[in-house]
Amino acid sequence: MRAEAVRAGPATAIERRPASRTSTLYLFALPATLLFVVFVAYPILWVAGQSLYIRSGSGVSSFAGLANYVTVLGDPTFWIVVRNMLLWGVITIPVQMLIGGLLAYFIERHTHALRGFFRTMFFLPVVTSVSVISLVWVQIYAPYYGIAQEYLKHVGFVMMTSPIGDPKMAIYALILVNIWQWTGFSMLMYIAGIANLPSEVLDAARVDGARGWRLAVYVIVPMLAPATKSLLLLGVIGTLQTFPIVHLMTGGGPNRASEVFGTFIFKQSFVLGDTGSGAALSVIVLVVALVLSLLQIVTLGARLTPAGKERA
Amino acid sequence: MRKMLFLATTILTAALAAGSAWADEKEVTVWSWFIQSTMDKSIAAFEKAHPDIKVKYTYYNYSPEYITALKAAAASGSLPDVIGLQPGSLTQQYRDNLEAVNERAEKEWGADWAQKIFPVNRKQMQMGNPAGDKNYYIVPQESQVLCIWYNRKIFEKLNIAAPKTYDELKAAAKALTDGGYIPMFQGAADGWQNENVFLMLANQFSPGIVDKAQAGETPWTAPELVEAMKAWKGLFDDGIFQQGALGAHAYPTGAQLFAQGKVGMMALGSWWMQESKFPPPLSEYVQNMEGFDFFYMPPVKQGNPASPPVGGIDIGYGLTKNGGKNPAAWTFLAELTNGAGLQEALNDLNDLPAFEGHSPKGDITDHVKEMSARFMTDLPKAENQRFASPAVAEALDNALAAVAAGSTEPEAALATVQAATEKALAAQ
Repeated sequence: MRAEAVRAGPATAIERRPASRTSTLYLFALPATLLFVVFVAYPILWVAGQSLYIRSGSGVSSFAGLANYVTVLGDPTFWIVVRNMLLWGVITIPVQMLIGGLLAYFIERHTHALRGFFRTMFFLPVVTSVSVISLVWVQIYAPYYGIAQEYLKHVGFVMMTSPIGDPKMAIYALILVNIWQWTGFSMLMYIAGIANLPSEVLDAARVDGARGWRLAVYVIVPMLAPATKSLLLLGVIGTLQTFPIVHLMTGGGPNRASEVFGTFIFKQSFVLGDTGSGAALSVIVLVVALVLSLLQIVTLGARLTPAGKERA
Repeated sequence: MRKMLFLATTILTAALAAGSAWADEKEVTVWSWFIQSTMDKSIAAFEKAHPDIKVKYTYYNYSPEYITALKAAAASGSLPDVIGLQPGSLTQQYRDNLEAVNERAEKEWGADWAQKIFPVNRKQMQMGNPAGDKNYYIVPQESQVLCIWYNRKIFEKLNIAAPKTYDELKAAAKALTDGGYIPMFQGAADGWQNENVFLMLANQFSPGIVDKAQAGETPWTAPELVEAMKAWKGLFDDGIFQQGALGAHAYPTGAQLFAQGKVGMMALGSWWMQESKFPPPLSEYVQNMEGFDFFYMPPVKQGNPASPPVGGIDIGYGLTKNGGKNPAAWTFLAELTNGAGLQEALNDLNDLPAFEGHSPKGDITDHVKEMSARFMTDLPKAENQRFASPAVAEALDNALAAVAAGSTEPEAALATVQAATEKALAAQ
């Protein structure tokens, strides 16, 4: 009977479970559901509710419909943020994946005794405090007395301004820091992917004459697709969540040139005290994140690990 | 059985006694960004005078930790008894969560208590209150006066005198640069330091003009403010600020370089004296403030006076609605702002008092006493440095950065501040 139920599939098996057992199963799901409702669903709904209210100067909140959304979308800073976020995603995600992938490939294929050392060194920025990273990079970028200037002066180059102090350069300077910090994470993901590659496939490819570049591009890269998809998904979400490095290095300046969603929401909500527009911005970011994630899952599939099951 | 009964009675009696002692000890919860080591001294002095009250202090970095913690606690009704505040926008954001202190203060310090607070502080205490609201929601603890600090040892070495004219300031900056020093360190990535310098400049052209502009009584595009904005740009173009200032932070970078003797001048305020009370090792310049002295911004245009003192409340404290239900909370707040707690902060040279009649005591050199006395002489006539609306301050920060970067002309930049002011005033 039990064997038949198992063969018939999970749905049939559940249908045949007694009601008391089904209730017990729901009870097991209860703690996770409660945590989700209290710490995820309720705050999201609360923020969404706040986005429909405006607080007057005298402190009275009143229903404003979509006025906060109209205000936010009409604010030129919003479009600076959108441009910066696009640049951030378009530059950081592929560059981190490319450098991280190359590092992983060379460390795994061409180092032996020092493999652990290289892995640790390249992963170190990921686990370093953002405060420390921002302090160091502000010093690196400083002209005249900065760390980079100390080296550049030997080749006769004098930095006249700090890249993070130039409105045209600030966002790129921050993107560079972000790439430096997070490339180690991409490397680690690819190392995990390379370690899980089935050796028989690689052996078969070698027997068929695939070597070096051809083996990497035509065999290894396609087989690392789950890691690439994960990095893409995490990269998009990470881009939308960007905050500390920008807050600490430029505060979104100069003159809002390096503003990102995180710093914009923070300023609106906590510095200016405009909770309504801060909440509206948060909802917009949530919707963008949701749409982009769904889009990726629909177009690229949900197989995010080599052992995972293809669902789309 | 009798043994068991005796044991149970003993335990019960002990528990009741402990519970009663626990109930006798009152607790006050305090949140602030105020330096922990100094606050610990203030708390120790308070607890010595009030052994029945325990103070639990939580230190936060100001941004983003403190302001986000306040927002979350206010939303959930779990603010501590006493919170650190800045006058104007921060106080106004939490006005609904704060008790008006008028009656308590009158009872504590007498009917004329507000007159004992320096005028600029008194003005800032009600900044941003709705029309007709004469309540005070913040009690100031410390005041500050903005100035230009300079390293007098480096100046002596390079044979430079404290500048009295703009030409002398430019010459000093050049001599410092030629000597391998940073001339005047400006952390122009920080809006607050830019605001401070701009206030020095604007008040030089017309004392009190920024106050009038933020109240809507004078347009931000007034000729004096445009001139001040041009002078601001001049500080970058004339090599007075270091190259790349727009990407630099005053803290920790600028302050560290200044303390180490790598910077000639820096626009800070009276709080800089506290560096000499930090734990050793201290540099030869910071030790007893031996390396430092201050001056006010020299006239940036022929016919101008030097900048007047600009300043106001450095930090103040508010009694929350929760604290209003805890009588011990006011007792602590009163001692912290105008009693034993304040004295400890002054002894640490944390800044100047907000109330009259206090001065630092203890191990302080004549040089520090002399500088402190000069600040105290200037404080009563200081111009206001605070903004009632954060949106106006934010607009000014952006305008200053845009002009400094050369991406916007002074008039156009100030027009954006005017627009922000009109919007803020309309919202009120």
